[in-house]
Amino acid sequence: MKHAKYFLAATAILLLGALSARAADVKVIVNPSVSVSSVSAGDLQAVFLLDSDSLGGNHVVPVLEKSGPAHEAFLKAFLGKNDAALQAFYRSLVFTGKASMPKFLASDAEVVAYVAKTKGAIGYVSSGASTEGVKTLTVK
Amino acid sequence: MRSMNRRVFVGAFAALALTVAVQAQEFKVFDHTVQVHGFASQGFAYSNNNNFLTMNTSNGSPAFTEGAVNLSTSITDKFRVAAQGYDRKIGSLDDGRPQLDYAYGDYKFAGWFGVRAGKVKTALGLYNDTQDMEFLHTWALLPQSVYPVDLRTTFIAHTGGDLYGRIPLKKAGKLNYTAYAGTRTFDPREGYYYFSLANGFNIESISGRTEGWDLKWTTPVKGLMLGSSWANLTGSRAGQWVSGPFAGAPYTIDTVPNRVWAGYGDYNRGRWEFTSEYRSTLDELAIGSPLFGTAAFMYNQSTEEWYATAAYRINPKLQVGVYHSNVHIDNPSNPLNTASNHITDEVGTARYDLNSHWEVKAEGHFMDGYGDIYSAQGFYSQWNADGLKPKTDMLVLRTSVNF
Repeated sequence: MKHAKYFLAATAILLLGALSARAADVKVIVNPSVSVSSVSAGDLQAVFLLDSDSLGGNHVVPVLEKSGPAHEAFLKAFLGKNDAALQAFYRSLVFTGKASMPKFLASDAEVVAYVAKTKGAIGYVSSGASTEGVKTLTVK
Repeated sequence: MRSMNRRVFVGAFAALALTVAVQAQEFKVFDHTVQVHGFASQGFAYSNNNNFLTMNTSNGSPAFTEGAVNLSTSITDKFRVAAQGYDRKIGSLDDGRPQLDYAYGDYKFAGWFGVRAGKVKTALGLYNDTQDMEFLHTWALLPQSVYPVDLRTTFIAHTGGDLYGRIPLKKAGKLNYTAYAGTRTFDPREGYYYFSLANGFNIESISGRTEGWDLKWTTPVKGLMLGSSWANLTGSRAGQWVSGPFAGAPYTIDTVPNRVWAGYGDYNRGRWEFTSEYRSTLDELAIGSPLFGTAAFMYNQSTEEWYATAAYRINPKLQVGVYHSNVHIDNPSNPLNTASNHITDEVGTARYDLNSHWEVKAEGHFMDGYGDIYSAQGFYSQWNADGLKPKTDMLVLRTSVNF
């Protein structure tokens, strides 16, 4: 029984560590017009799954990357979908009229530039990317 | 055959050109960005034994085409409008006539409460509102026990309104709800009309309404969603017997009641996806005619239907899957004919995405049974003049492009 408890605890720590490592590969950025400085994982998921369009009373619009390590890490850490599943999910909303297709950009630099100039924009970039002109959110 | 090869080549080239060329999907109207999206799908079906879904599948049928174009825009941060036109020719289903798929206004007061009004896709089960968007699914044909192609128009949308919203449940996940009410649409080129004619009576008028709800629970278990739907559907038909011993006599048929309850789930883990859905359909009809005097003839055509699927993504382009689909007719008109009290379908599929806008599928169906003559279940006597055989094997090939 004692060994089982240690085994479960070790597994939980490893899993938590793995999740944190994936989340640490990306950082979430917003246009400076968005007044919040942190966001819960649940609220972040709701925004990118087009379930919600506000954070802390601010209207937000998600922007994503087309592909790449930051894109894969963000999907895995926060949306629980691979790219094919996410595209199918977005298209199911678009083709039932429930949402418009979010914007997809080719690189960290394009995402930063777009978020910096677009009121309410929220996106993600690699953890090492420059974030000039945007604000980084802490994900709780 | 040569002209078919030429059509296939031209179609493939057009699809490739379309996926390369379609980049401009939005334009501005009075400072509002309008997005345009669409899809086109072409299929081919070949079966032994029986013809299916009004196609001449026993000779191989390319009469398996559908497509749609939609427009949407946000008028304000809370108010958006969207509309989609749809067209299909699947055998004699809809016969290539364009129709309005949906057109509505959507006002979101808050994350937990919004309203839609107009012609709206109906939330029922996992795939009711996307059943005609073949490119969204692993399968060339969704399980026909639950999503019959020949009854699409009847169930896919209502003209009325929805209340909807998302309720966060903290550590218990979240709940998405929809409640709706409205009138139904019946297409004279679909299953209701075809099975009626097969049984010797026409439909001169038909109307109905629907009201119901849908709940989707995104559970705390990563990748697991569970849901439930309920719908009350009314339908009133009137017409005449056009053949047989009652030819010339009028009739009325009213549903008293027609209710559907569905329970479903979707689980994603790594490269795997599993789905399942069960429906219980209570369907009692009151058939009136001067032939029966003042009392209506009551007829029960209740059913149970379910499916279970498993799909595996081999790599970003290739996905394979299998499913079992089952419909059981509680009160078949001929209880001695076991092929008429059920339809089961064992299916294997491969889907290949050439790029993010173009995919091809190859799918095998192994069906047992053909359902009851007094309901629309894909097998029609008009397209099976030699009588229905108990088993049907069918190959379905489909390709679609979307933008």
